[in-house]
Amino acid sequence: MTCLLCGRSLPKKLDLLQIFGLMKRQSANVCSMCRQAFSPIETACVGCGRQQNTTTLCQDCRRWQAQGRQLLEHRALYQYNDAMRRYMQAYKFHGDYILRQVFNDELIQMIHTLDMDVVVPIPVSTTTLATRGFNQTTGLIDGVAYQALLEVAQTKKAHQSQLNRQARMTRAQPFAMAAETALTGQSVLLVDDVYTTGNTLYHAAALLYQSGAQVVKSLSLAR
Amino acid sequence: MKRYYGRQIVQPKIDPIPKNAVVSPTFRQNICQRCGQDQRAALPNHAYYCRACLALGRVSTLDVLVSLPEPNLFDTPTDLTWQGQLTAQQQQVSAALLGALAHQREHLVWAVTGAGKTEMLFPFIAQALKQKQRVAVISPRIDVILELAPRLQAAFAHSPQVVLYGEQKAPYTYTQLVLATTHQMLRFVAAFDVVIIDEVDSFPFAGDAMLAFAVQKAKKPQSTVIYLTATPTKRLQQRVKQRTLNVSYLPLRFHQHLLPEIKTALVGNWRRRLPHQMVAQLRELFARAVPLLVFVPHVADLAPVFAAIQQIFPTAAGDFVWAEDPQRVEKVQRMRSGTLHFLVTTTILERGVTFSGVQVMILGAEEPIFSASALVQIAGRVGRDQLQPTGLVQAYLQQMNFKVMAAQRQIKQMNQRGRQLGGQR
Repeated sequence: MTCLLCGRSLPKKLDLLQIFGLMKRQSANVCSMCRQAFSPIETACVGCGRQQNTTTLCQDCRRWQAQGRQLLEHRALYQYNDAMRRYMQAYKFHGDYILRQVFNDELIQMIHTLDMDVVVPIPVSTTTLATRGFNQTTGLIDGVAYQALLEVAQTKKAHQSQLNRQARMTRAQPFAMAAETALTGQSVLLVDDVYTTGNTLYHAAALLYQSGAQVVKSLSLAR
Repeated sequence: MKRYYGRQIVQPKIDPIPKNAVVSPTFRQNICQRCGQDQRAALPNHAYYCRACLALGRVSTLDVLVSLPEPNLFDTPTDLTWQGQLTAQQQQVSAALLGALAHQREHLVWAVTGAGKTEMLFPFIAQALKQKQRVAVISPRIDVILELAPRLQAAFAHSPQVVLYGEQKAPYTYTQLVLATTHQMLRFVAAFDVVIIDEVDSFPFAGDAMLAFAVQKAKKPQSTVIYLTATPTKRLQQRVKQRTLNVSYLPLRFHQHLLPEIKTALVGNWRRRLPHQMVAQLRELFARAVPLLVFVPHVADLAPVFAAIQQIFPTAAGDFVWAEDPQRVEKVQRMRSGTLHFLVTTTILERGVTFSGVQVMILGAEEPIFSASALVQIAGRVGRDQLQPTGLVQAYLQQMNFKVMAAQRQIKQMNQRGRQLGGQR
């Protein structure tokens, strides 16, 4: 086995409990050096999951609240640091789909902990799907049962990563419901790869509330 | 349209295909048609992609490979603007290269370190360009390419050339003369009539199936391939012996002096304590203010050896350097300018660097990291300067082995040939 990120070979060490079959062999797919480069989010804003010193609402979340939005209580696993930026570059833009495995276990565990009725991934456009070949979000949560309730409404949109904050915030609803679905009384967990401004997720949440969802929360790998 | 000539461009199936283009599938029998490897990874819906050549942009079953056959449509001037003179031996090699071009054969130039290989190529490249052939000068090492580029541009001042490597920002243009790292050959198909591979034995080319495939694919079936090296791989040497590969030797450096030979000394555990012979030699070298490179096998040896030298010679200015050292370029520069008296280093400085008047010591020369070629290359750092054509190459070993002897023998053999041509110590 080699590290998925740096290609160096991984040490094949078993400890005593694993040898006697008393502990499951954990198959690490990333070396400890690469793993350490990612910084987990510990204390965060309760509204958007941003790493900060307290759990109080951050400025941006108060703005969402002032607009009359129900806060997403977003959770993110890692900070969007240099290592995460490089990871996203390799996974999403270079299309190295196998890298979905790096955070797969952690995300699955998080989804189980949050325990919502329905898991809904943020969709990608049909053009992206035809060239990239995968939806980065459904890749990350591979193995979890989800419902693809959303689809991208406009076909000719610029990649979000190429827009600045202003342009992102003023963007009109980019999504539509893929099918008429009644979500009455259900709790929904929206999943995306990265939370940047929150705009994407709040647009998606608005649609789900319109379809009758009782509560919509969200989760992303990075923030 | 021109950008498709001889190129193998990966594009999504849904994109429009240019007129007259040759379109081929990205995989045949599970083998990636760009890099020739089977290192597939799955995408959803039974699609898959190649991880071996991912660094050059992904090839997947959602893509096709598009190219246009190389038409050799060149109308740019090809005259040689280099004004220098070749030595008699360089001229001989140059003539042999022209012969290889006429017969479209492979040819090995086995030239000692510091022989002036680049200049010998000029008449050969000029001839090929004149015949409207497309020429690629490639090397596994980016630093070699970056060093060659300005020299070739100066030698063919009127011919446009493109320089291709991973971090290159400038867009690709269609030119008759192409300089590139071996990796970039993956993007070509049957494009080149002439391929010149410099430092053919160096990492990562030697023993890399993907890069070998890349070069095979990038050249035309009928083409001339020139290998340049001071230390051919076993495989190349074998082919020379079997007479399936023609060879020219250039056993003398441009300044007509023989190569410094590797001296050996058996010592105890140098990791515990510096050998007393070495300390005596250091004392003598530092007294004469001779610049010195000390090669050690591993990164972990750098700091202890450096500290040991500093302890005995506190006034000698030195440092240590390794591949991932963030100050690598800076330290090498300080060594070159003479601010540093000595540099403790791993094999990263084995080739491609010139320090005027430098002498070298190799600690643990018998350890596996120092291949015979590495030792020959290390010895080749010494005496490159016309004013100081000789110097010390001292290897300290805990035991002798065949590899060290092979390196010594290679140098001796080259010197034997050199002596016949009138070379002196």
